[in-house]
Amino acid sequence: MKIKFMFCMLALFFIVACANKDINTSSKEDVLTKDWNEIAKTSKGTEVNLFMWGGDEGINQYIDEWAKPQLKEEYGITLKRQPMNTEEFMQKLLTEKKANKRNGTIDVIWINGANFKNAKQADLLFGSFSQKLPNFQKYIGTDNQIALFDQGTKIDGLEAPWGNVQYVFHYNSTHIDNPPSSLEELKKWIQDHPGKFTYPNVSDFTGNTFVKHLLVKGTGEKSALMAEEYNKEVIQSGEKYVWNYLKEIKPDLWREGETYPESLTKLDTLYSQGEVWMTMGFNEARAESLIENGTFPKSTKSFVLEDPGSISNTHYLSIPFNSPNPEGAMTVINFLESPEAQIAKMDPTLWGEGTVLNFNMLNKMDQKQIKKINRGDSVLSAELLSNNKLPDLDTGYTEWINNEWAKRILEQ
Amino acid sequence: MNGQSGFLNNKKRVITHLLPALAVTMLLVGYGLWSAIAQSFQTIEGEWTFASYVQLFNSHTFFHSLKLTFRVAILSTLLALMIGLIMTRMLYQFFKNSSSKILVWIPILIPHFVAGYLVYLFFSQSGLFSSLFYQLGLLDQRSDFPILVQEEFGIGMILTYVWKEVPFVILMLLPVYYEIDHRYGEVVRTLGGNKWDAFKTVEFPWLLPVIVETSVILVAFIASAFEIPYLLGVTRPEMLPVRAYEWFYDGDWSKRPLAFSAMILPGVLALLLAMLCIGAVQQHRLRMVKGRGR
Amino acid sequence: MRFVFTRLGKRELVTSLMVVIFIAFFILPFVVVTLKSFSVGWRFPELLPQAYSLNGWQSIFRDPSLRESIVTTLMVGLYVVLLNLLLSLPAAKILSICSFKGKSIIEIALLSPILIPGMLLAMGLQFTMIRFGLADQILGVVLVHLIPTLPYAIRIMRAGYERLGTSLGEQASVLGAGPYLRFFTISLPLLLPSIRSLMLLTFVISLGQYALTAIIGGGNVMTLSLLYYPYFSSSNEAVIAGFSILFALLPLLFIGGVEIVLRLVIRAVNRV
Repeated sequence: MKIKFMFCMLALFFIVACANKDINTSSKEDVLTKDWNEIAKTSKGTEVNLFMWGGDEGINQYIDEWAKPQLKEEYGITLKRQPMNTEEFMQKLLTEKKANKRNGTIDVIWINGANFKNAKQADLLFGSFSQKLPNFQKYIGTDNQIALFDQGTKIDGLEAPWGNVQYVFHYNSTHIDNPPSSLEELKKWIQDHPGKFTYPNVSDFTGNTFVKHLLVKGTGEKSALMAEEYNKEVIQSGEKYVWNYLKEIKPDLWREGETYPESLTKLDTLYSQGEVWMTMGFNEARAESLIENGTFPKSTKSFVLEDPGSISNTHYLSIPFNSPNPEGAMTVINFLESPEAQIAKMDPTLWGEGTVLNFNMLNKMDQKQIKKINRGDSVLSAELLSNNKLPDLDTGYTEWINNEWAKRILEQ
Repeated sequence: MNGQSGFLNNKKRVITHLLPALAVTMLLVGYGLWSAIAQSFQTIEGEWTFASYVQLFNSHTFFHSLKLTFRVAILSTLLALMIGLIMTRMLYQFFKNSSSKILVWIPILIPHFVAGYLVYLFFSQSGLFSSLFYQLGLLDQRSDFPILVQEEFGIGMILTYVWKEVPFVILMLLPVYYEIDHRYGEVVRTLGGNKWDAFKTVEFPWLLPVIVETSVILVAFIASAFEIPYLLGVTRPEMLPVRAYEWFYDGDWSKRPLAFSAMILPGVLALLLAMLCIGAVQQHRLRMVKGRGR
Repeated sequence: MRFVFTRLGKRELVTSLMVVIFIAFFILPFVVVTLKSFSVGWRFPELLPQAYSLNGWQSIFRDPSLRESIVTTLMVGLYVVLLNLLLSLPAAKILSICSFKGKSIIEIALLSPILIPGMLLAMGLQFTMIRFGLADQILGVVLVHLIPTLPYAIRIMRAGYERLGTSLGEQASVLGAGPYLRFFTISLPLLLPSIRSLMLLTFVISLGQYALTAIIGGGNVMTLSLLYYPYFSSSNEAVIAGFSILFALLPLLFIGGVEIVLRLVIRAVNRV
């Protein structure tokens, strides 16, 4: 009896499961030919699912406590934040594409760089939508560098910029009076303080970008070229400097360079414990919330290497090919690119990261407001940051560092 | 059973009772594995190739990883088994009539990655033990504390796995201990055998099948788990699951077949190991159960 | 000291020693994690936190998805546990009392889900699940959670049945008891310890699944591990510690609820 009952249940499972609910609401072309008012109107009262990495309380609070109520009030849109690692929702989209699932569950994704390149190549994105957004047109512009290339991949309007961050180093000012300002000074500091410095494994994006700075220096600062294409000759001119530098500092690194922190989090933990005296990473203001919650010591300050400069990185919002609500997605992205949303994002108690909006295109009020924001004591001045700003390099260089580093440095 | 008349009926019963569990398992594993194997032979564009396996077998790092992975897995399993066995032997009476059994459950309640984090908290050079020894004046600076996590032998990982798996071993062994007729042990001793003889002749035959099964499960699990090596391992040689994970989620999707094959190989190894071991103790086990039925 | 030693027998001494070890190994870590969840910047070489705050817990309870995720987790867990019971009871019974050709092959087949890396199976199954419309649904997640749980469930129940033996059931059968009566009056009460272990273990395993849940549930089935796992790549240790405690408490809550239900059922059965 029990068995029969179970079979019935199993059968029931599959019957329920196989009932396909694949109803496609509107086709891609339809949405992209609509004018903005129509898009905004259809998105009213809908639900938008935003898939993004969820490991930072500040970022989560910005979405949950600032953006969500605003969207509800101004546009009648219910925003749902779904915490998921980028790799996993990319994997999900890839498999859904293969299985030809046209009615997905994701409306907005937070991506950039290699993930964007993969998504573009595998045709996982909705379409060229960014120039439809009024705020994008007004405050960023289609000929803006950050709207043209994402780490060497042509954007073609498939994603819209959301935030811009710069690579900075953090140090404990009780141990260090004058932080280094060039790669050579950094090398000397490392050699004078054995065991107090390390960088994350290059399979981690932060560690990889540390090595990219060396490559920029080695090639004689051709970063503008390197931002647009992967070029083997450029590498040949710079690789000697990169590997020599890393070999020279290796014996004086934490644990003599025998092992490296697997991720930025681990480097941060080493720093917070005082095992090393420096940490690094994208987002010039990221130390603020860490100081506030007691992870980093209060004496944490930041510096950039004026020679060769500080690589910047832009991250984007995009719409997947099978979004059930592309109109809602576009309205949400447009809202997140508005001056008010971008200024709120700079608040160090929430997220604290830099804006993607062109400062000169903003009105006087907004400009004043941005200038007024106190981003915190650990954040460098806007002038210093922008004077040393470098674009991010093509993802081809990321790959190259990934493949060569283990052979040249680790297994020596 | 009920003699020969029950034979046919018996066969039908075997099928109907086993089928649901077997069908679910085979559907999930069969489909999943088949699809994974197919993807290990396919490039992202869908062409069929052996390239990923060729590349793995030609790679020294892969064999280093494989060696480290199975060394950590086997060492952790052996240690966990030994400690678990000793604890069960000493405490099964105590567990029988006390609610303190719940204590053993604590490590089971804690997910693996939290366990790894705990080991880091206690055993790293900035950890609590290091702090304690420093406060006691036994250390001048923390770098004098032995490197126990993130080193090449995998001590940190082994510690974590032992802590997590000892309760599991106890859980597996306890029922057997209650089943053993301990009067036989007294018989052995009155006949002049020592404690070891008693263990060897009375308890061990009962324990053997469970020990084999438990160790197969543990080795297979540890060889394929990702979180703890990621938290406590070194950059090189890295544990296989970490390697595979990196390939899976690398920016470059062309490495995905490599990731699949790097995980299929230990999986297949574990399966073979299981077949060998379980097949070998099968007969033994049957004898025991039949002997008891009478 | 010596007085104490002589008063206690060797056996008691060993037992109390073991209890101390137990507390050191199994309770102390728990205490430390609790402390950590209330601490601010607890660094080397401090043995105790220098400052306390509720920030970690505040961040956790601030998350608007927390309640939803706890409910989802409990629901998924309950289904997984029930399915495991339904599937494992008959299979374990047969495996424990019958011998037949190809038994060891079937045993290995039933064990295979935990011998093959779970992530591999999840990646492989994702496509099929999408095709069947099971992806992004609780049902799909429950089904894939059977992968890491069912082998343990069968294993535990089998040990339970082996301990039970066949003779009692046979006696009852001779006395004319039907299969249901036999199950409820003889097997079930004697199997209770195993059933408890099964429920706790399968629930804990289901709770801890991140990769399987993320890949098959696609973020729509938001269990606690989905909410929690990303925090592991943040360096705010108070949040990590707080979530860890929540993680350990949930199975206790579940098993407490189940225990109450079980007692009620047993009382009802006994009255019949």
